[in-house]
Amino acid sequence: MTQLDRRLFREMLREEWRLHTDLFGGRRFAAFPVMIAVIATGATWALTVSGTAIGAVIAGLHALVFAFGLHTGSMGLISRDAVRNLVGDATLLVFSGRTLPLSARRLVGIFLAKDAVYYSGLFLVPLSIGIVPIAGIGFLGRLPLLWASLSATFILGALMTFVGIGLTTRLPTAVVAVLLLGLIAVPWSIGVDPLSLTPYAFFRSPGALTALTSLLPLGAFAAIGLAAYDPTHRRPARTSDDRFSPIRDRLGDADGLLTKTLLDVSRSSGGFWKVVFSSGVLLAVTAGLIGIVEPLTGVKPSAPISFGALLGLSAFTTYNWLTQFDDLHEYSHHPVDAARVFRAKYRAFLLLGLPTVLGSYGVAIVLFGGAIVESIAGGILSVGTLLYLFGLTVYLTGFDPNEFLFDTLLYLAFTLGVSLGLVPVLILGFVLTPISPVLLGGIGVWGILLGGVGSELLRRSIPRWTRRYRR
Amino acid sequence: MTAIETEGLIKWFGDLRALDGLSLTVERGELFGLLGPNGAGKSTTIKILTGQLLPDAGRVSVLGTDPTTEPIATREQVGILPEREAPPSFMTPREYFSFVGSVRGLEEQTVNGRVGEWSNRLTLGEKLDTLVTDLSRGQQQKVMITAAFLAEPDLVFIDEPLANLDPIVQERVRQYLVSYVEAGNTVFLSTHHIEVAEAICTRVGIVTEGHLIDDRDPSTLDPDESLLDLFLANVEATDWDGGVEANP
Repeated sequence: MTQLDRRLFREMLREEWRLHTDLFGGRRFAAFPVMIAVIATGATWALTVSGTAIGAVIAGLHALVFAFGLHTGSMGLISRDAVRNLVGDATLLVFSGRTLPLSARRLVGIFLAKDAVYYSGLFLVPLSIGIVPIAGIGFLGRLPLLWASLSATFILGALMTFVGIGLTTRLPTAVVAVLLLGLIAVPWSIGVDPLSLTPYAFFRSPGALTALTSLLPLGAFAAIGLAAYDPTHRRPARTSDDRFSPIRDRLGDADGLLTKTLLDVSRSSGGFWKVVFSSGVLLAVTAGLIGIVEPLTGVKPSAPISFGALLGLSAFTTYNWLTQFDDLHEYSHHPVDAARVFRAKYRAFLLLGLPTVLGSYGVAIVLFGGAIVESIAGGILSVGTLLYLFGLTVYLTGFDPNEFLFDTLLYLAFTLGVSLGLVPVLILGFVLTPISPVLLGGIGVWGILLGGVGSELLRRSIPRWTRRYRR
Repeated sequence: MTAIETEGLIKWFGDLRALDGLSLTVERGELFGLLGPNGAGKSTTIKILTGQLLPDAGRVSVLGTDPTTEPIATREQVGILPEREAPPSFMTPREYFSFVGSVRGLEEQTVNGRVGEWSNRLTLGEKLDTLVTDLSRGQQQKVMITAAFLAEPDLVFIDEPLANLDPIVQERVRQYLVSYVEAGNTVFLSTHHIEVAEAICTRVGIVTEGHLIDDRDPSTLDPDESLLDLFLANVEATDWDGGVEANP
């Protein structure tokens, strides 16, 4: 590593810190690691109280960190457009190869090393420490191992994304997708557990062999990614017939604000499917929870109420997609006030979010069953939760749901709001079953109340954010 | 008739005093150029005049409306070309113009006709169906210029109109601005390009440290005097330091 590499590494670390403090509540961001530790402790406590073994919690933690690595690896590397969508008119040092005599591969390599150090320090240290109060003082000896294993898992995720991005600069996306799926399928098909090639295997049974099999994929992915990445690659320009006018006319959307939002979502990566995918993840997680709880506690959860409560959480991701590609300032040079923009987002949310959550709920009922009254109560609850969480998210975060929820205070407020709305019905759905008809009626009323509170929060959000954006 | 009038505008951003009692008047039919160094308050002035920002103190009137209390009424009457804003990434220029027409309540036929004129003027025709995210900065700037004039408003605010444009298109935009004002409209232009201001503006204001320090018709300058000399003399006289002052 040359002196210049070290300098670039330091500057990129500093840049990442400034980016986060700028986005996520200024100096309050420094408290974010503390919050991660607290949440990790709380979640571990809740899972172990409900009967989940600490080993299973740690396995789940590895899965979570792997997904986090996959996501983080894509940020910043894809394009300036992606960065601009997130942080506005900004550019990062990783792009400075365009103006300075630095190779793009060198910059990307240092960028990934910076990600590994930054996130393993700021996020994974508190995440690991958060386990200790529940796992017991005896776990302290394994803490360095857990942290190292989680850090390597994070790097594995980031490198897999980097390999994917690198390959798409040379191959069609569909071919790259098949290749990446093959990476998992091939070992599986010859009887090798893919998990044995991950850092989690090293955590389970530390030793020279597992260290080698865990680290080998990291080196291989880093080498493939750097070799495949073509910094001169430029995506061909995309064209389209006029889709705006027909959609606007069909929807009766006179000012076109709703149509614009729908076009943004449909033309960005993943199209409308990303909304369905987010809901599908919640469906799978809820199904997993129901599957775990019954054998551990002996209580059969109410599938309709559990799904009704948890599927509404998709409100947050759906609203995030709806606001990911524009901001309120973009509309400020048109004769449009914030109220009209928020209303358009709300209509787009109803058009995309409502059918998605009801569709997911329908699938859940088909798969898990449920009495008619219970299913109706769960259905009302799913819609009520969806509207409540939408109103809560807009009220707290305005037009920037994703970024500002990492502001420690906002995140705590959001968590409190979600808990107030969901914990009572989750206790009913997971613990106090079978639920009496009277309580089912109460859950239906609770769903309607939640929807009402969500609408009221949305109504109050408009003047609140209009004032703030004009300051 | 007065198009724009401000009196004692003050605007703070934390510890940064962006405007410090800015007062100016622009008559209808003028092509008014606001000149000033970086951070002098030009863009902030435009944002307040168009209701995008609220001033901390002062009075403002635009075409008889008060942008601080009725921003939409103001913006219905004016066009805005912001300095760094790009059109929405996932629309084509043609779709974006339809969107602007919808927001401003223009007939589709009117929009199509004006888009045709502007496409010819700015040589944008081949790119009308390309997603904005795949256009160059210069092409995106052409889209923003077209959008600002699409409703043919009485008054247009322009923040650095010629950035990223090739010389031929720059000249066409300059000529258009002159003819637009000759037709009785008003243009409020913020620019660093002193030669542009000297060539086309009917009146120029020089702003530094958040207030107007000179205001004159460039054609009245002495033969041995240039707008650049005037600008440098004014800015250097104020000992310009970037406008940062402690908030009292």
